[in-house]
Amino acid sequence: MSNEEIINKLKPIITTYAPVSEALDNLNEDSDFIKDLNINSANLVDIILDVEEEFGITIDNTSMEKMLTVKASIEVIKEKLNEK
Amino acid sequence: MIGNDVVDLDLARHQSNWRRKGYLDKIYTSEEQLLIAAAAHPDQMLWLLWSMKESAYKIHNRKTGIRNFAPTALACKLISLDGEIKGAVTVDHQTYFTKSEFSLTYVHTIASASVNKLLDIAIKIYSQPNHPEDYKSLAADCVSHHGKYLALVYG
Repeated sequence: MSNEEIINKLKPIITTYAPVSEALDNLNEDSDFIKDLNINSANLVDIILDVEEEFGITIDNTSMEKMLTVKASIEVIKEKLNEK
Repeated sequence: MIGNDVVDLDLARHQSNWRRKGYLDKIYTSEEQLLIAAAAHPDQMLWLLWSMKESAYKIHNRKTGIRNFAPTALACKLISLDGEIKGAVTVDHQTYFTKSEFSLTYVHTIASASVNKLLDIAIKIYSQPNHPEDYKSLAADCVSHHGKYLALVYG
């Protein structure tokens, strides 16, 4: 799966938890969930659970630690898809 | 260094469905999950523990310069629940002491590596629409904002 395909699948998940903003409209690999998208930290875990469901993967706590940006999330998703 | 965290309990109820499958395992240790399960008010216990983790993380993150999302690595212990809610959060062999207070609609926690320091922390909590116009000018040592509430602490 390409980075672009992954971002397209991530966008609706992120939109559920992020307030409307310009940063959300311009979602890209460098977007930071908390700093740029103003997502509440208690909702990060919802994003991770939704990602697990959407991609059919399991994200362990060590991988979850890094998932504060779109770029880091793409890396974790790719890694977990390769392990399948 | 001090940390704080406020949770707007009304907003939290709408924003997070902690009963969804897998949610608790990603945030809470098994010991913390037992505290939640055994609590008379599980929602209150859950957000109390969350605010303890967040307030400790805010100190630890500034101290180490490491930004991550590892809530289960911040292990909470409750020391007293009578009157004042006191606890401790341990992460990477470092312990932070906490003190929390509930109102009907929020829980607020302050944290410090020194238990005595907790006594000296001044707390200012604003509820919408009474937020200060420019809270940055109020030069707080730590700031937390959630839903209707803005909490500033000085220590």
